[in-house]
Amino acid sequence: MPVNPPRTLTELFLGFFSIGWRSFGGVMPWAHRVMVEERRWMTEADFAETIGLCQFLPGPNIGNASIVLGKRWFGLSGALVAFLGLFGPPFVWVLALFALYADFAATNATLRAVVTGVGAAGAGLFLGTAVKLGRALVRKPAALALIVACFLAAGMARVSLFLVLPVALGISLLCARKGWL
Amino acid sequence: MILLELTLYFMLLSLISVGGMPSVLPELQRYVVDVKNWITPEEFIQIFAVGQAAPGPNMLISSLIGWKVGGLGGALLALAGMCGPAGVLAWFVADLWERFKGSPWRIAIQRAIAPIVVGLIATGGYILATPGAPDWRLWAIAAASAAAMLRSRLNPLWFLAAGGAIGGFLLS
Repeated sequence: MPVNPPRTLTELFLGFFSIGWRSFGGVMPWAHRVMVEERRWMTEADFAETIGLCQFLPGPNIGNASIVLGKRWFGLSGALVAFLGLFGPPFVWVLALFALYADFAATNATLRAVVTGVGAAGAGLFLGTAVKLGRALVRKPAALALIVACFLAAGMARVSLFLVLPVALGISLLCARKGWL
Repeated sequence: MILLELTLYFMLLSLISVGGMPSVLPELQRYVVDVKNWITPEEFIQIFAVGQAAPGPNMLISSLIGWKVGGLGGALLALAGMCGPAGVLAWFVADLWERFKGSPWRIAIQRAIAPIVVGLIATGGYILATPGAPDWRLWAIAAASAAAMLRSRLNPLWFLAAGGAIGGFLLS
C-alpha cells in the first residue's frame, strides 16, 4: 500500500489535531489509527520504529513522535505545527475539566470521592502496564532485581529520581553489556 | 519566583522522563507535595484523575500542576518545560538513532532502559494509590482496574468510570 505523507502544514496540523482532541483513554491507539490507517502517512513498520525511538527518549512519547515526524516532513515549522496540533485541544480540554471540577469539588464530598476513585483506577492502569511490560523481563534475574530496586528506592525510600535514574541506568547498562538483560 | 522555580523544575524533569509521565510521577509527587507543599496528597491524586479522564498525552498533568501553582501562565510554562527539553533532544537524536540501527550500543541502551521504566511505572501506580496512610479501598480499586486492563481490550476509559463509581460508594 503506497504511503501518502502530508503535503501541507495544514494537513499535518489537522492530522495531529484529530489525534489529540478525541484521544480519551490513551493517545497511542488514535495515533496509529489516524497516521497509519486513515491518512496513510506512514507504514505500520515505520510507525512502530518511530514509536520505539520515542519510548526510549525522555518526554511524552507521542509528543516526541510529533516533533520527529514534523521535522521529517517539514523541518522546524513542521515540528512546531505537529506538536501544537497534538497538544492544543487536549490542553484546553484538561484545563476546562479541571476548572469545572474545582468549582464543584469544593462543596461536594461525593464528587471528590468519585474523582479519587478515578485516580485510583488510573493508578491501577499504571500497575497493569508495569505487569504487561514486565512479564517478559522478570525471567531474567538481573532485570527483576533492577525493577525491585527502582521500586524500593523511588517508591519506598522516596529517593529523588534525579539520583535513582542515573545510578540505575549505569548499573543496567553494565548488565546489558554483560548480556544479563 | 515560584513560576521560575516551577518551570526550571519541569525542564529538568523533562530530561529524565524516560518512559514518559508514568515514570516521573513518583518524583513529581515527591517534589510538589512533600518538598514544596504546593499541592496536598489528595489534590495530587485528583489532578491525576482529571488528567487521565481528559483526552491527550498524560504529560498534560504537568499543566494542571502549573495551573494550580500559577494559573494559566503556570499551566503553559509547566507544559512547555515538561515537553521542551525532551523535544529538543528528540529533534537531534532522531537522525542519530537511524544511523546506529543495529549497533550493539543501541541495543544495549534499549535493553537497559526497559526494566527501569517498568520499576518506575509500578512505583507511579503505587504512589498514586497511596496518597496518605495506606487505604485498602484505593488499593482495591487500583488492583481491580489493573486486573481488568490485563484481561480485556476495552478502552481504559471504562475502567476509570468504574473506578469513579466504586469510589463514589466506598469513599464518601
